[in-house]
Amino acid sequence: MLHLIRSRLFAAIPTLAAVILLSFVLMRIAPGGPFDGERPLDPQTRAALTSAYGLDRPLVEQIGRYLWRLLHGDFGPSLVYRDFTVSDLIARGLPVSLTLGALALLLALLLGLAAGLSAAARAGRPVDHALMMVATLLTALPTFVVGPLLALVFGLWAGWLPISGLGDGDAAHLILPVIALALPSAGAIAKLARAGLADVLGQDHVLMARARGLPSYRILIVHALRPALVPVASYLGPAAAGLLTGAVVVETVFALPGLGRYFVQGALNRDYPLVLGVVLIYASLIILFNLLADLAYGWLDPRARD
Amino acid sequence: MRLVSLLLIAVVAVALLGPLAIEWRYDSIDWSAVHAPPLTGTHLFGTDAVGRDLLARTLVGTRVTLGVAAAAAMVALVVGVAWGATAGWCGGKIDEAMMRVVDALYALPFMFVVILLMVVFGRSILLVFLGIGMVEWLTMARVVRGQMLSLRQRPFVIAAEAAGAGPVRIVLTHMLPNIAGVAIAYLLLTLPQVVMIESFLSFLGLGVQEPMTSLGILLKDGADDMDIAPHALLLPGVILMVILLCLTRAGELLRDRYTA
Repeated sequence: MLHLIRSRLFAAIPTLAAVILLSFVLMRIAPGGPFDGERPLDPQTRAALTSAYGLDRPLVEQIGRYLWRLLHGDFGPSLVYRDFTVSDLIARGLPVSLTLGALALLLALLLGLAAGLSAAARAGRPVDHALMMVATLLTALPTFVVGPLLALVFGLWAGWLPISGLGDGDAAHLILPVIALALPSAGAIAKLARAGLADVLGQDHVLMARARGLPSYRILIVHALRPALVPVASYLGPAAAGLLTGAVVVETVFALPGLGRYFVQGALNRDYPLVLGVVLIYASLIILFNLLADLAYGWLDPRARD
Repeated sequence: MRLVSLLLIAVVAVALLGPLAIEWRYDSIDWSAVHAPPLTGTHLFGTDAVGRDLLARTLVGTRVTLGVAAAAAMVALVVGVAWGATAGWCGGKIDEAMMRVVDALYALPFMFVVILLMVVFGRSILLVFLGIGMVEWLTMARVVRGQMLSLRQRPFVIAAEAAGAGPVRIVLTHMLPNIAGVAIAYLLLTLPQVVMIESFLSFLGLGVQEPMTSLGILLKDGADDMDIAPHALLLPGVILMVILLCLTRAGELLRDRYTA
């Protein structure tokens, strides 16, 4: 297990390095320099600024400094949110986004597993078909359709739940965003869980258990559940990426002050340091999640543990 | 399958021909009818916040979304098939190296890299579909490579090789036609992904730019005005749902037929 973690972490290094290098190169070849304002600067001021920010040094040295700062958690200043460093903004937005994402993942797992497993236990019956149709519908519905629709129905028409901002931080403000974020993943998890369980239920060891006269709930929970969850576990990596992109939309729709909002604002205003910082955070989160998914995979399927 | 294809053909036909049948253009402004409700005068679905006909905008938006999706999917198809076929044919070290590249790219948070590209190079439709195509060729490359590997061992390929056919000829005339079915199935499965990415980017204001429109932009406008004009959200939402569901279903059916 330790070996797996170590090899995965090492495998993550080239990916992170690629993201960092790509971001750095993109920043340098972007049209327009950091000091191109509405009024042209006089040459002396420009030279002073260039040397103050180290832009006159060799490229390799610049990359080195950039990495060194990154290692110290310094992503540079934000160009749009004056008076804030990118690290400040990340520190503000990340907790909101992580709370949102974690709750959504939890909800997606609960809903998805419940639906998928009850469908597989009644394979071929109307319940199965109905549940799977709903699951397909949910996976085909992007967050930017579900989010506004939920806000319209439960926020504006019914008036039950708040649809904008965090308020004083009470939980009601998170209900609709979490549901909107969770539904697509819930659909995908339901499909995978159903396929996994249906597959396992046809295998010899389940037939054996049935022949020994074990009650069906016991077969389901003790013998079939663990191998059936393997496809769900391998979906957790893509799910994390999906939740992160979904969170960008949900935070925009429900006006939540999360990382995604800053990301979109930064992207619209061409705030390079902010966008780069957030991309790096996202990349690390996705890598971390793929690692967790691998661990879950190894725990569920001992054959994958070497 | 029949229902799905009929629905798809209907959506495409309406998106292509519909704008011709309406007297309003997607960007013409009717100052006498701003925020008009449905069935105001000749505005069948009303108008948006600056008096542009919603039906015309939705039809053109559907067209743009489908067009961008088709173009990006073609990029994905060409690059993916070329990459996968080369890797699968060459095998050995070359195959391993080429697939390593695919693995590494898979691990990148691509949606964000595409956004990063937009931020750096400015926003344009061209970049949208190039960016999307870049993301989506990976799965195609993997699938095609797998098919190539298994086809290589088949007697008709060995026979062609023994008869003295060159590698280009074997790949193009003997192997690729056998992969076409699977490739088309995955092309269909790529389309809804691409539609979703395009709408996602446009929804955030990072994709297609005003006054041009797409389903993502319409959804964004509809979401902004949903307290006074919920139909502006519902119409593009329903169309997008139909497109995504039909494409996904058609792709799944084809895939199951060709990989079973």
